[in-house]
Amino acid sequence: MKTRRSVWLAMFLLVAVLLVFGSTRTGGPQTQQDRIDSLTAVLACPTCSGESVFVSRAVAAESIRAEVARQVSAGLRTDEQILSYIEQRFGGEVLLVPRATGVDALVWALPVAALVFSIFLLYSAFTKWRGNKPESPTSDDEQIVARALNTKTDEQ
Amino acid sequence: MKSNNLVKIVSTVVGVVIAMFFVVLVVADPSQDIVARSPLLGQPAPAVASETIDGAQFVLERRKGSWVVLNFFNSTCVPCINEHDLLVDFADTEETNPNGAEIYTIINDDSSDAVRGFFNKNGGDWPKVKDDNGAIAVAFGVARVPETWIIDPNGLVRLRITGELSPGLLSEQVNKLRDGFTS
Repeated sequence: MKTRRSVWLAMFLLVAVLLVFGSTRTGGPQTQQDRIDSLTAVLACPTCSGESVFVSRAVAAESIRAEVARQVSAGLRTDEQILSYIEQRFGGEVLLVPRATGVDALVWALPVAALVFSIFLLYSAFTKWRGNKPESPTSDDEQIVARALNTKTDEQ
Repeated sequence: MKSNNLVKIVSTVVGVVIAMFFVVLVVADPSQDIVARSPLLGQPAPAVASETIDGAQFVLERRKGSWVVLNFFNSTCVPCINEHDLLVDFADTEETNPNGAEIYTIINDDSSDAVRGFFNKNGGDWPKVKDDNGAIAVAFGVARVPETWIIDPNGLVRLRITGELSPGLLSEQVNKLRDGFTS
């Protein structure tokens, strides 16, 4: 029992470490084109349905792509600042990946809260079921079974 | 017994939330306003520098002290064509006003020749500003034309009108802003 718990704990820790590592690591040095591509991939084309600026050929998307390229080439703004510039012009709906601040943070927090709550509910249910062991038969129960068995033997 | 109560409570809460969504859907008044929202409203106008199709320099910041109307335009866009006469009338009226607004066309994804041809045919002698690569459109967050923006003499963005202008709308809005303006 103790070993099993340790294995689960170790797995949980491993997953947590990998998640933290995966979400914080940087992909190494990027070319300007890499930056342009990654930025336009997280911006929504304002005149299309469900397309990113990266894939869209709409006029508005091409204008945004050109602006991102211009700002990346100028080298004066970070990726976050470039995204903020576009967001300040077109509004928050232009971001395909919601921010983790303000009300938008609920998009990230609610699924995690739901997951934790579900795990808690499942744990409670399993614990309860495990505790519901069948009770041992009373003497009345035993008499009923004995009578039933005798009746069956007599019939045969 | 206890779990039955829990189920009832959870069901009631979910039911109430769904009912509230329906109430919001039924009661909500779909906005028909042509005056649109923008994060730029009340903010300094973006720095815009370009040139007109006639080769003159255009720097928006230098227009401070005047009311400025920017009209994002494409000569093949039907609403732009439809509203053109209204803009010509507006420009004529403003010319007679000592505190009149200056109007500028910002060309959106169109050639200088096409725009020049359109204005020669349909009137309108105000400057037509080139917007190569859509930098001005992006700076204002313009995705579709036509759009009309009003900037006050302090250089602050005051109004954004998306889509085709209706008769009298632009004059009405400019006059309203001008009346309430204190520098």
